[in-house]
Amino acid sequence: MIPENIIGKSISRVESAEKATGTAVFTADMKLPNMLFGKVLRSPYPHAKIVSIDTSKAEALPGVKAVVTYKNSPSVIFNTAARTAQQKINQVDDEVIFGKVVRYVGDEIAAVAATSEEIAAEALTLIEVNYEILPAVFDPLEAMKPDAPQLHDCKNGNNIATLIKLPMGDVEQGFAESETVIEQSFKVPVQKHCQLENHAAIAEVSHNGRITVWSPTQTPHTAKNLLAKIFGLPASKVRVLNPPYIGGGFGARIGFCGKTEPIAVLLAQKTGRPVLLSYDRKEDFIASDTRHSGYITVKLGAKKDGQLKALYINAVLNTGAYASYGPDVIAVLGTTNCSVYRVPNVLFEGSLVYTNTTTAAAMRGFGNPQGNYALECSMDILAEKLGLDPVELRLKNIIKPFDKWMLPYPCATSALEDCIQLGAKSIGWERRNEPKVPVNHKVRGIGMACGTHVSNAGPWAIQYDNAYLAVQQDGSVLVTVGITDMGQGSATALTQVAAEALGVPVEKVHVLAGDTDTSPHSLGSNASRTLYSAGLSIINAADKVKQQILDFCAGEFGVDSSELSIKNGIVSCKDPNKGQLKFEEVCDLANHKDLQFVAVGRNKLSNAPPWIAHFAEVEVDLETGEVEVLRFVAAHDSGKIINPTIVEGQIEGAVLQGVGYALSEQIVYNDKGQQAQDSFHEYYMPSIKDTPEIETIIVETEEPSGPFGAKGVGECAQVPVAGAIANAVANAIGDRINELPMNKERVLAAIMQKEK
Amino acid sequence: MSYLQLKCIVNGDLVELDIEPSELLIDVLRDRLNLTGVKKGCKKGECGACTIIMNGDAVNSCLVPAARAQGAVIETIEGISKTGRLHPLQQCFIENGAIQCGYCTPGMIMSAKALLDKNPHPTKQEIREALAGNLCRCTGYVKIEKAVEQAAKIIFEITEGRGTSK
Amino acid sequence: MFQKYVFPRNVSAAVHLLNEHRGNARIMAGGTDLILDLQNGKYSTDCIVDITRIEELKQISEENGNIVIGAAVTHNQATKSFLVQQNAAALAQASAAVGSQQIRNISTIVGNVVSAQPAADSAVALFALDAQVRVVSADGLTVMPIENLYAGIGKSTIDSTLSLVTAVLIKKVEPGEGSAFVRLEQRKALTLPMLNTAVKISVKDQRIKEARIVMAPVGIGPVRATESEAFLKDKMPSEEVLQEAGRLAAENANPRDSLVRGSRNYRLAVLPVLVRRALEQAINNAEGGGF
Repeated sequence: MIPENIIGKSISRVESAEKATGTAVFTADMKLPNMLFGKVLRSPYPHAKIVSIDTSKAEALPGVKAVVTYKNSPSVIFNTAARTAQQKINQVDDEVIFGKVVRYVGDEIAAVAATSEEIAAEALTLIEVNYEILPAVFDPLEAMKPDAPQLHDCKNGNNIATLIKLPMGDVEQGFAESETVIEQSFKVPVQKHCQLENHAAIAEVSHNGRITVWSPTQTPHTAKNLLAKIFGLPASKVRVLNPPYIGGGFGARIGFCGKTEPIAVLLAQKTGRPVLLSYDRKEDFIASDTRHSGYITVKLGAKKDGQLKALYINAVLNTGAYASYGPDVIAVLGTTNCSVYRVPNVLFEGSLVYTNTTTAAAMRGFGNPQGNYALECSMDILAEKLGLDPVELRLKNIIKPFDKWMLPYPCATSALEDCIQLGAKSIGWERRNEPKVPVNHKVRGIGMACGTHVSNAGPWAIQYDNAYLAVQQDGSVLVTVGITDMGQGSATALTQVAAEALGVPVEKVHVLAGDTDTSPHSLGSNASRTLYSAGLSIINAADKVKQQILDFCAGEFGVDSSELSIKNGIVSCKDPNKGQLKFEEVCDLANHKDLQFVAVGRNKLSNAPPWIAHFAEVEVDLETGEVEVLRFVAAHDSGKIINPTIVEGQIEGAVLQGVGYALSEQIVYNDKGQQAQDSFHEYYMPSIKDTPEIETIIVETEEPSGPFGAKGVGECAQVPVAGAIANAVANAIGDRINELPMNKERVLAAIMQKEK
Repeated sequence: MSYLQLKCIVNGDLVELDIEPSELLIDVLRDRLNLTGVKKGCKKGECGACTIIMNGDAVNSCLVPAARAQGAVIETIEGISKTGRLHPLQQCFIENGAIQCGYCTPGMIMSAKALLDKNPHPTKQEIREALAGNLCRCTGYVKIEKAVEQAAKIIFEITEGRGTSK
Repeated sequence: MFQKYVFPRNVSAAVHLLNEHRGNARIMAGGTDLILDLQNGKYSTDCIVDITRIEELKQISEENGNIVIGAAVTHNQATKSFLVQQNAAALAQASAAVGSQQIRNISTIVGNVVSAQPAADSAVALFALDAQVRVVSADGLTVMPIENLYAGIGKSTIDSTLSLVTAVLIKKVEPGEGSAFVRLEQRKALTLPMLNTAVKISVKDQRIKEARIVMAPVGIGPVRATESEAFLKDKMPSEEVLQEAGRLAAENANPRDSLVRGSRNYRLAVLPVLVRRALEQAINNAEGGGF
């Protein structure tokens, strides 16, 4: 007997046995006949011109099969975002595979393919490069100055890749009407994804020039289109697929995985042999995308009773050496953070700035966590100034369904109020105002933050998804989609969606993801959209197939199709005397009448806001500045939950990434322009011993635009973590830090400042 | 280059092969024995993805010269469910949703197994200590900890059952 | 990298191998540092002399009022050893703080000393415990204080192509003696310390007879807080006294600014706290408060 309803059931992941037994194949686990190994030569300087480059000695080394530089590689200028942005975003093309100018320590100069990784590495040491060292700049505020070293020719001002302005109402008027106004600036660091599997790609070129690339990209279709552009091929002659497993993504693999895909293709073209290019951890750290660092200023105006009248946010984000997804990231920072509260007058201004640092692009939350940290700290500052409880101030102002906001889609559902109230109860919010008496030099504090995010990539990016659904002759179901499962569990959740939509058991459904040859176009896995967007197209395909089946059965039963229904794998008629057919019997019957039930599903272009309220209790060591998160409560509205265990897992993991962002993670640059943190040893992402007790609270809503009522979840739990912890630290020590991470040093400085 | 004849037991089987003296155990396991469940995350002993059990102890196979495995008994993720039945740790990782991307999973399970082999009733703190050398970026460790606790209970029940039947 | 890998059966065989290779063979114990140093080119050698199978070096034993820890004893072995816990609480605590379970299963106490990293946890504890080391070379056996091993940051006076440290010796604890180790870190595993400090203290008639206070990384190798040690002599360990001892300790410290491990100013500011906390714990340990 199959369950009545498979939505909301925590079935085990479809692939977890393979992962638990070590048989799951990841890119660098693959071996192809005759495969060569690639290695990349990288810039030791943050900014330099390549005066000359001599590869003859490297080429002469036995075992070396090809050396590529700017001299023998395509000069097509591209952006790793691959024109997935909508036209309203000014996408900036500013990268080539290998250029004559290098713009950060780690920038690609050359690559070698050889019969072993060791030989390839040795060959790199034989490449002779003469550099003309150029002045470099690392801070976006410095880089914007007219006399700062110029990285790219920019029409918006020196090193300004993009300027964006998003107004609603009249912000000047709003501040004029306000009785209390606060303004505060914040600084946010570079965070790194640290997915456990390093970037890698294997490329193979067939005799007729068709390219196949295996890589852990989160967006195979985007990568395919980009490779087609760079190598001047029809997109149909390029195949990008996952091998099929991906060792985490968190945004690091949107578009390309570092530059592994194009470099592997180039080396495969030159040698006529398959090439594996696998980055080591240091390369992953210094030469693949990071979260944007930068400066954010928030100005809030309110009436005495706490009613918000005006909100101004200004963000200066450091996009590093190349723009990549920067223009989209800064737009999302603005729209998400201008849409948490009901404010009639809003203005967001953003500047995306180049510096001689590793390119910043997509990372879980896509700009939102940076802005949310600043916004939510500012809300607490405002609450204190107004003499209001932070929870009360938020409850008074949060967006309610169908409130006016700046987004082009409606807020149809929100359980934020419930999330806030349940979270406050769970953390013991009433203890927040208890006197702070140090025990063993430690004090405790409680804080909260809330926020929203997205369920799809629009309006900033092209966001449609298609799905193929083919019912097999035995009644089982194959679904192919262009999204990927990088570990977030989408393949499982989408299996549940397809099973529910067709009324067949989950065991009979297989969802094939992550292969451009088998699936129609998809923007891939990002923007918390995978379940939402691919789910909608699968349901659409299922509906079409269902209709085909009902029409077919109508003929068989001799009734109108409206008399028929499919449930639990059985097609039955309203009139029980007319009998019923098992799903597999219908398919067999159809097969013998030369018919297969197949459909292409398309999603409706839509988006919807998930809602989040986070609460943290911290303990601060007043003598060392050490902050320990004791307990964390994460209350979420992600619509209807398809698989609760998977959703909890997404929330718990994102919360811990947020804890790292708040307290310990950063990449900073030394005086030579090198990344001071380029290994796990120096980059302090939390270990199991640094993990607080995490409680997840789910408040379900029925989102009308989502698949079975679901909204996005993947990125959500990273959004308000830093704000909640910052507010808890401020509650504990009575002072604010206004810069992330709140490491021991900064916290102790604030404590000592306060004591003075 | 002089080759070295390595003899050791890997997942219950006697393995004999010629290795270069400077090869690392991780490379021999992955490239020569095709045990690609041994994952490469940093090659510096900083992430735990390549964790295996050598003579009963969890070690980072990226920091062990293969030559040191001479005469050793080695277990990798591939060896703990050889009979076709999943090990209780594997079962509990699956059932508790402790696996997301799965890249840290083999190392994580091997660290947990090394713990439970020696200490069938670990405290929460002992579990955390045993797994602190295995970084995971997906799960926040919550369900991993739960899975290990549950596996410990199941293993205890199995061994207890065996004890009473004697 | 190396072309030969050998397991000598005893110490003299190891020394013989070193001699035979005339500087082209190198001793390796756990190898968790050395393997990486051979990869990144800090060292190169033709032959690795792996001493982890020399039975006598794998033991923790008692000898003439000393605890003798062989050169192949791992950090985890030391942490779990009753002898170490009873006689050298600081070393047991420091050994437990190294890297991770997997690292501690391989890395050795002696290797931690010979690799001469300034903030090596177990080395810092051994400094405080006034440990001696046994060094064996073709010239025979010498015993020297652990201080003599540091030639510079990451540089040991032990040339592992010529000689090997076979053991460290720690005096057994006397009544009234205790030790402790305290560490400040940015993650609770897999990380070097921002600061660590180890203390050995001897208390009689409620007065401090002697204190050895060692701090790192605040100079070349572990650094003694000599001013603080002198100040504590014959003092009653009140809160004020321990506070002052912490303050004085910072006078012997010269930490660097590090983008990874914290600024000089921060580390100078918290060092007194760490020293005070280590003193408190060591006194507690001396009074019978266990490991």
